[in-house]
Amino acid sequence: MRKSGKKLMSVALLCVMLVTLLAGCGGKKSETIKLGWMGSLTGDQAAYGTCESQTLKMLVEEKNAAGGILGKQIELICYDTKGDAQEAVNVAKRLCAQDKVCAIIGPNASGQCIAIQSVLDQYKVSDLSTVATNEKVTVQDGKLKEYNFRVCFLDPQQGKIAGTFVYDNLKFTKAAVLFDINDDYAKGLKDNFIKVFTGKGGTVVAEEAYTGGDTDFTAQLTKIKEAGPEIIFTPIFYQDFIMIHKQARTLGIDLPMLGGDGCASEVLFDAADAVDGSYVINHVSLVDPAGDDFRAKYASKWNGAKMELNGYMAHDAFLLWCAAVEKAGSDDPQAIAKAYCEVEVTGMAGRIKISAEDHNPVGKSGCVEQIDGKNKTYKFITYIAAD
Amino acid sequence: MDLQYYLQQLVNGICLGGMYALMSVGYSLVYSIMSFSNFAHGGVIMVGAYVGYFALTALNVPFWIAFLLCGVGSGILAIIIERLVYSPLRKRRAPSLYFIISAMGASIFLENFVIATIDGTPRNYPTLFSNSITIGSISLGVDSLLMIVVSAVSLLILMFIIQKTKIGLAIRACAYNEKAGTLMGINSSLVIFVVFLMGGVLAGFAGMLYGMRFIVKPTIGQVTNKSFVAAVFGGLGSLPGAIIGSLLLGIMEIFVASQNSMLRDLFVYALLILVLIIKPSGLMGKVVEDKA
Repeated sequence: MRKSGKKLMSVALLCVMLVTLLAGCGGKKSETIKLGWMGSLTGDQAAYGTCESQTLKMLVEEKNAAGGILGKQIELICYDTKGDAQEAVNVAKRLCAQDKVCAIIGPNASGQCIAIQSVLDQYKVSDLSTVATNEKVTVQDGKLKEYNFRVCFLDPQQGKIAGTFVYDNLKFTKAAVLFDINDDYAKGLKDNFIKVFTGKGGTVVAEEAYTGGDTDFTAQLTKIKEAGPEIIFTPIFYQDFIMIHKQARTLGIDLPMLGGDGCASEVLFDAADAVDGSYVINHVSLVDPAGDDFRAKYASKWNGAKMELNGYMAHDAFLLWCAAVEKAGSDDPQAIAKAYCEVEVTGMAGRIKISAEDHNPVGKSGCVEQIDGKNKTYKFITYIAAD
Repeated sequence: MDLQYYLQQLVNGICLGGMYALMSVGYSLVYSIMSFSNFAHGGVIMVGAYVGYFALTALNVPFWIAFLLCGVGSGILAIIIERLVYSPLRKRRAPSLYFIISAMGASIFLENFVIATIDGTPRNYPTLFSNSITIGSISLGVDSLLMIVVSAVSLLILMFIIQKTKIGLAIRACAYNEKAGTLMGINSSLVIFVVFLMGGVLAGFAGMLYGMRFIVKPTIGQVTNKSFVAAVFGGLGSLPGAIIGSLLLGIMEIFVASQNSMLRDLFVYALLILVLIIKPSGLMGKVVEDKA
């Protein structure tokens, strides 16, 4: 009984292996240029990843229709990381070893980008991240990661933008902070916000934490209310941002809140009344008329879907990748990685030039927008230099 | 930190506790009759939250209709689970461990069923009641007020059914001793049917209230673990125990969180362990007669 069970198991496994092998053979070798993408298509950040992959699909289709790149068609391979770092590692391996892509774009979260570094180093394939803002994505312990790049600004810069905006633009001197203590992104933003804001002369009247997964924030909000701030800085993700707003409003707290780039999402308008009047920091203005064509194209391609920030960043990453492939003159992964630091493009979020020293873009600026709940849109407020 | 502040935190605690109460009575009701912890209850609450969400967004029905639909949907689901999962075990007189494992299985099944059929993306209820009432400097959102009122009214109706009606008498009899009850001519299948129906309806209400205040996602079921802790804290099997346990837990949780939010869950689960060590029957579950 046991033996036959084992036999059955081995036959089944063998079948699985054969199928995967055959699937691997299916890809034609040098007729296409393979570009990999990974990100969250399910889970809490599904809205972000979905938008990234759909944007890339649209751009690749366009590029292919116009003749492709280096005379070849682009083949885009997208995988779901489920918002999980371990899954990101699996997916990265699959893209590098099995699909043999020439470069990867994504994933949309720092934790996953940091996790896949060893895979990238092993296969010498580069990753160009869209919105991973944590410092450690490209440089860790003073050491440059050879195959990690990004097109967005960093957490310290974002914290600085937040502190500058609250003190210089809103002219507020009293702020409260509410953040997820288990999240590196939130902690990075919080620390830098406090540093810049208090450095300018502001006071942080309350610093309240919660643990990721908590849904009730009334205890912390009541404490914040008692401390009497003029604004609440919430460096968290959009789902918590919504819940915190809803609960704050029922507690009679009508203060505006300021979220980082993790808050900006079309999903916010599900709770339009509650989030009305609050601010979010973003990489690019979501209402800039310069993006009208891009948004319209996206909406007509994907059943009227709304463009998220990630779409703009995926667009910029794709532009940079195209420029790098052309500069490299081949789809050799290492040549492309080298070319990332040698090209310069103007994307939706401004000029992008990657520094060879830290693989981060230089001279970026952040944009602050106010949420207009009544019209379900954002109102552009100002640009603030990130450096 | 003045009195107003503490009163506001107390109100926050009662809101949270009220919702726990709606959830925990479901655990207690089933436990009192069948002597096992029905972990599928969390899944039933989650499905209730989804029914409410789609009733409001896809069918565009008014709040009260959606609220009733949640109760109906979850009530039916609870009965289906009883008939498909527990009934065969009951007929075979399986040990209660089997029931608990099956309940966990049903809970995980429901979670993944929703992920597979709808999706895993969290959803937000449309804002129904955004205004709040201010008494002194204490603010109480209309949704919170509704939560307290709905919880109180449903629980009072439940207590009335258990204490004053014939079926309630049958439930109490079966809670005391199912075999003797059956010998006295009580239809124990009917009693179980009614118990699951009532627990399911309340789960639906709780699911909708939870969704309105927080969020709808397939993993809500895990959040309801705290209401199970509340039921144990109050004394599994005792309805007043479940309600008082829930309120106390909600209030304590808010006060702990207002001191240090990191300790919140640590506190809740440490309390569970402590109760199990010091007074395994919970606050109110001391004598068998108190069950149901």
